[in-house]
Amino acid sequence: MNAAEFSKKVRSSEIDIVEHIHKVIEKCRKINNDFNYFNTISDELAIKQAHEIRNQIKNKDNNIQSKKLLGIAVSVKDSICVQGVESTAGSRILKGYRPLFDASVVRKVREQGGIIIGKTSQDEFGFGGFSVNVGVGFKTPKNPFDPERSCGGSSGGAGGIVQKADFPHIALGESTGGSIAAPASFCGVFGLCPTYGRVSRYGLIDFGNSLDKIGSMGKTVDDTALLLDVIAGHDALDSTSLNAPKEDYGSRLGKGAGRMKIGIIKEAFEEGNDPEVESKVNEGIEKLKENGMECEEISLKLPIRYGLSVYYMIATSEASTNLAKYCGMRYGAAEKLEGNFNEYFSKVRSHNLGDEAKRRIIIGTFARMSGFRDAYYIKAAKVRTLIIQEYRKAFKKFDALVSPSVPILPPKFSDIEKLTPLQNYMADILLVGPNIAGLPHLNVPVGFEKGLPVGMLLTGDHLQEGKLLQIGSIFGERK
Amino acid sequence: MSSFTSDIVIGLEVHVELNTKTKLFCSCPTKGNEEPNTRVCPVCLGHPGSKPVLNRKAVEFALKLCTALNSKISSELVFSRKSYFYPDMSKNYQITQYEIPLGAGGALSLKEGREIALKRVHMEEDPASLVHSSGMQESGCVLVDYNRSGNPLIEIVTEPCLASPEEARDFMKQLITVLSYLEIFDENHGIIKADANVSVRESGYVRVEVKNITGFREIERALSYEVVRQKSEAGHGRKLAHETRSWDSARGITFALRKKEAEEDYGYIIDPDLVISEIGSEWIENIRNEMPELAQDKVRKFIEKYKIGREDAQILASEKALAEMFEKVAGAVDPELAAKWLRRELLRVLNYSRKSLDEVGITEKHMIDLLRLVQEKKITDNVASRLLEKLVENAFDIVSYVKKEALEAVSDADVLEKYCIEAIKENPVAVEDYRKGEAKSLNFIVGQVMRKTKGKAAPKEVNEIILRILNESQ
Repeated sequence: MNAAEFSKKVRSSEIDIVEHIHKVIEKCRKINNDFNYFNTISDELAIKQAHEIRNQIKNKDNNIQSKKLLGIAVSVKDSICVQGVESTAGSRILKGYRPLFDASVVRKVREQGGIIIGKTSQDEFGFGGFSVNVGVGFKTPKNPFDPERSCGGSSGGAGGIVQKADFPHIALGESTGGSIAAPASFCGVFGLCPTYGRVSRYGLIDFGNSLDKIGSMGKTVDDTALLLDVIAGHDALDSTSLNAPKEDYGSRLGKGAGRMKIGIIKEAFEEGNDPEVESKVNEGIEKLKENGMECEEISLKLPIRYGLSVYYMIATSEASTNLAKYCGMRYGAAEKLEGNFNEYFSKVRSHNLGDEAKRRIIIGTFARMSGFRDAYYIKAAKVRTLIIQEYRKAFKKFDALVSPSVPILPPKFSDIEKLTPLQNYMADILLVGPNIAGLPHLNVPVGFEKGLPVGMLLTGDHLQEGKLLQIGSIFGERK
Repeated sequence: MSSFTSDIVIGLEVHVELNTKTKLFCSCPTKGNEEPNTRVCPVCLGHPGSKPVLNRKAVEFALKLCTALNSKISSELVFSRKSYFYPDMSKNYQITQYEIPLGAGGALSLKEGREIALKRVHMEEDPASLVHSSGMQESGCVLVDYNRSGNPLIEIVTEPCLASPEEARDFMKQLITVLSYLEIFDENHGIIKADANVSVRESGYVRVEVKNITGFREIERALSYEVVRQKSEAGHGRKLAHETRSWDSARGITFALRKKEAEEDYGYIIDPDLVISEIGSEWIENIRNEMPELAQDKVRKFIEKYKIGREDAQILASEKALAEMFEKVAGAVDPELAAKWLRRELLRVLNYSRKSLDEVGITEKHMIDLLRLVQEKKITDNVASRLLEKLVENAFDIVSYVKKEALEAVSDADVLEKYCIEAIKENPVAVEDYRKGEAKSLNFIVGQVMRKTKGKAAPKEVNEIILRILNESQ
């Protein structure tokens, strides 16, 4: 049952929403014991919301009719603020922080009757591709198909719970350099990262502000489109929010996508892919052709050659300024007040930030120091512009571009441990391109190899989320 | 080595608080409740997830200043993050302008007409205020009040071309005049602060930065102290340190904060939360059209149109309210008379009562009524001055008051002559002294007539009548 069908049954009282949500919370707790998908389960808020909806139904409140997410369980990546619910972005330095306001996306979900069930686990502040870089004292989420393996990151908890939930549920994820598509690929679900600015970032705990995008993850393309439909649109509280008309994403689904032109990214198939991944993605491409789409190879040199370097310079530069505010004043973790402010701030940050967070703060601070700024931060910004130009040129000819989402099958935790930081970053090589260019991209599950899911990546031109979902809907429901 | 020619070289960085209703990046009020941490929100407290939204009004104010200072307005509005850790910073970075300031270049004229070149004009947010409950040195802890956090500031940076502490003071004064003409600064409650770079010839122009100087009176004190200190150090053959010092107003001294071995590294990046936006030519055109006449325009106009002296014109133009009053009064009575009375008498009584023009109820109607009576010789200067003093206390209608209190000048020649004859008769000794050649004694007799008329006679006229009578009776 997809989300929209479920909402109908809630509306008609066929399903008692309060009873349902109690069961959902119970299931989440159970799943969480084995898989660590939640940092916080917001049972109080969820049950309160369920009661409100039940009362509205009882009172025949007319507003109920138009609510797009009525009674649907929605999980929220921990880096997205929910008023009154601990929101830490997976970091001990924000332990105990309960936001004073809802992120704009959370407000929109609640206005449409969506029920917030909890905050999903992630790499600390989004710093990773495997969800193993969780904050001090946090637990790593495990792959739903093999608990020895990663569910991808940084929206790992979101990907896992989308796959594991046997109740209607959609997840709010966030991507800076691939953090929606990577876990969607490893967990075998749809994950849509929209155009930069399409969805408001207000209330998102920042990683790299010029890269951060909130998106939706669902078991079906319908669910994924439905949540995007709710959260997309202009927001005056986010200065980078786009003031462009919003499409009706749902109306495009199941319409076929004949006559669309698809570009197969040459460089994404040249080297470094697991053969299992490549063969499944090729099957996906065959399916596009069967559906009448014209597929043609295209060379895109810059994103794969320079994408990771550009991404890490810009993302860490921005992150190192964003994380400066966490210093044990006003909110979050605190330590015994001793010494001068510098000593105190250092102590708080030393004790409460994880290794990867410290690494990225140091890299980012270095990249913006005078003397190095021009060589790193400024140069990265220039190459970023060139990458965007290369994509734009491709989209003059193609409706969407195709590559694997991640070149490898979900790796074992024991193998991840052996990776150097650079090898670790390589997992995102196919994803950083669309992310630094602010292009919408969709992970489409294309099947299983060795019992593990494989994802295909569709990348579209700015604001062409609708096209991607239309193509994705060819792949139907995965369950 | 150095291209400086003057004995003393001073450059200023002046920070001015703009008087917008709300803060630079959130909608918290800039004024109001003084209870600590009441005018705050997630944005100005730097809470996770909050995002800045630019206050367009503050940009408009800053654009007005750029226009007034002839500073070249950038085509793009760009904000940067200046990173450093400090307890008064809500985010441990300050949103400011770095790469591309709002205004580049420009100039401001000192009173004597010398133009002081500007480097740049840019906008930034104010940090929170730190409260040391028992003084900066003794307090074991510091309290932070975020009410000020995020208030809009504009920074004006001069080239190092001020040649004395007096010039620095005058620069600040001229700047405040411009700000108040533009109505973008609250002269009574707003904060204007300066950091100054100072060096002297004797040391080979070793640059010292003096921070934390508030207001234009302080700037002359602080810089005078610093110049004397530097000259004396150099005079004793000691090498001056390239350092940052702080001005302690209470003790009247500057003291060393830190050595400047290397420039601080603020790791600037362009703030990715604020989109770079174009400053359209239409916006700038609108600002230009809305610009009020500035003090320097007024001076020119006063000299040309009303034919008054440069000094009078400058003093009248130095305060917007006074300049506007002068224009109205000069349109109704003789401009020279208006200039004399506003510049001398009105400022004298205001100074004496320690009040500014907008704090008293004196309007241009009062001044026009008063000066018409003076011009038509219906009241004497003496009476007019007394009326002005009374007006500072509380306002009243001049014409009816003069009638009611019978203050009209005694101008009937026969009546005046009667008083003069009386005075001569009553003071034979003075008359005798005058005849012996003591000119002062004549003044005494005139004074007696003034007393009899309660000041309502014109002294010059009385003087003439007495002289005539004394000459006739010789």
